[in-house]
Amino acid sequence: MKRVTIDPITRLEGHGKIEILLDRKGRVANAYFQVPELRGFEKFCEGRVAEEMPRIVPRICGVCPGAHHMASSKCVDDLYHVTPPPAARKLRELFYCAHIIHSHIAHFYLLAAPDFVVGPTADPGVRNVLGMIGKVGVGVVKDVMKHRGFAQDIQAAIGGKATHPVTALPGGLSKRLTEEERQAIEQKAESLITFAKFSLGLFHDVVLGESKYVDLIKSDAYALKTYYMGMVDENNKAAFYDGQVRVVTPNGEEFARFDGRDYLAHIAERVEPWTYLKFPYLKSIGWRGFDDGAESGVYRVAPLGRLNVADGMATPEAQTEYERMFDALGGKPVHATLANHWARLIELLYASERLADLSGDPDVTSDDVRTIPTQTPTEGIGVVEAPRGTLFHHYETDARGLITRVNLIVATGNNHAAICMSVREAARSVIKRGKVTEGLLNMVEMAFRAYDPCIACATHSLPGNMPLVATIRDADGIQVYRIARL
Amino acid sequence: MKTLVIGLGNPIMTDDGAGLEVVRRLRKKLPAPDVEFIEASVGGIGLLDQIAGYDRLILIDTIRNAGGIPGQIYRLSPNDLGPTNHLCSPHDIGFKQAIKLGEKVGLEIPREIVIYAIEAQDALTFAEGCTRVVAEAVEELVRRIIAEWFDHS
Repeated sequence: MKRVTIDPITRLEGHGKIEILLDRKGRVANAYFQVPELRGFEKFCEGRVAEEMPRIVPRICGVCPGAHHMASSKCVDDLYHVTPPPAARKLRELFYCAHIIHSHIAHFYLLAAPDFVVGPTADPGVRNVLGMIGKVGVGVVKDVMKHRGFAQDIQAAIGGKATHPVTALPGGLSKRLTEEERQAIEQKAESLITFAKFSLGLFHDVVLGESKYVDLIKSDAYALKTYYMGMVDENNKAAFYDGQVRVVTPNGEEFARFDGRDYLAHIAERVEPWTYLKFPYLKSIGWRGFDDGAESGVYRVAPLGRLNVADGMATPEAQTEYERMFDALGGKPVHATLANHWARLIELLYASERLADLSGDPDVTSDDVRTIPTQTPTEGIGVVEAPRGTLFHHYETDARGLITRVNLIVATGNNHAAICMSVREAARSVIKRGKVTEGLLNMVEMAFRAYDPCIACATHSLPGNMPLVATIRDADGIQVYRIARL
Repeated sequence: MKTLVIGLGNPIMTDDGAGLEVVRRLRKKLPAPDVEFIEASVGGIGLLDQIAGYDRLILIDTIRNAGGIPGQIYRLSPNDLGPTNHLCSPHDIGFKQAIKLGEKVGLEIPREIVIYAIEAQDALTFAEGCTRVVAEAVEELVRRIIAEWFDHS
């Protein structure tokens, strides 16, 4: 096979790229998912006042700003060696539940569901949320907007703004929650739980009720036997805001359990010349290339990863659904990439139940929401589970609290190797003898979408999202097919 | 006639902040009773949260076209936005689709929607402030918008 050089994306391109290379028999030899470089974040942060970071980092990502805000807030707590009061911790977690809820609702209904509800080979013109209206009715879509709106309102009430929160400071929050605001949240909580259960019901009917989709979920084309990583609480239940980072083997046994502060002892990053996003892997196992299995340090995060890692969910209804999923898919761990969509809805239910619990806790209206730092800042690390996976923020400052160094491992970065592998496996199963059609290529995209990847989505140029180009090349490196969604 | 002027962009990604800068300047020059000026860093479905209930929407953003000339200004309608009915973003829906969605679920979408876009030179570098050519386009666009919509002389 001819050697093909994959150039890194030029700065002018600005879109994500999937490159699929065929061998002489028209079978998929390899697939690459390339990310354009966002340049100079560390430089941009140098010299900034560290306590600004929670307000700067939400601008990295247009979709999970809340996650960056939370990781950053924990990071600056650590940096200043200060512990927020218990009420601040609960209020942050309440905000964060709303963030998870809004993100998971948006992903499932806008991105995942159309593939199943309308069909993966349907025309792109209808394989979207508008096409869903035809299948499930406008009432359902109105409910989607309503509950997404609830989650936005809650984020705005605590975070200061719906999309880019501003409240977190080293040692806590800048604003307490009033009783009136708490009641407004509590009123929305029950409806959110009901909606989460409805969403799972929809998934059961539309997806699990169709044998062709169940086969798709269980198929080898969409399975990778990797390690998994996620955050757990002291009882090893899935946690988003706080806990320890846990890793399990492809057989589901605990491999590591560590405090976020020790991430560098467990995670190393591989650089490949053809993409700017690095590839995190388990340091003690090592990098063996784009392979799964116990000998390869590749691991996966995000909903499926989290549920594989956890022993259960901390709230009752989510726990029931957790057991249901693992029973249906043959026990733990589940390697089926498309099961991420199911796991995501279970997390939606957990976040809704947790939000209900926290909103009923009288502590959340306390006015003691900040511990003023008194110690000299040095270095801090903050870890949360972003909707798309484990998110690490690491800052170093001088004695005045001005940033000298920043390191981030963003959620999707953890999944980067797995995304390449999943794209390759999906492509292998549907592209034979070099034959490609739109519908077939969408099967490849389904693998990609299951990860809900966050690729350089900080820009907001029209049409307001990160475009993607998928190219297929034959064994001579000649482009035979190209799909551009720009 | 309630008008909403929204500038879209990311203030820390060089030219991606151009839309925000245009709105900041318009706001300073035009205190007007039925006009609201908002800076937003959202797209797609996030925009629906902001625009419902207005009669007229003027949207200002940056754009990157293949072969585009940095600093060029476009005046577009939602129909000019490419057929992005298929989900190209991993997270969101396109603006055109968001408008249709808003209409279908009964939100009061503005009847009149105009989009101005400035061709970016660099929207991938973390920095505050636009490149020179885009900064000049910002000035020009402010003039044009005032002349087209707000000059009642």
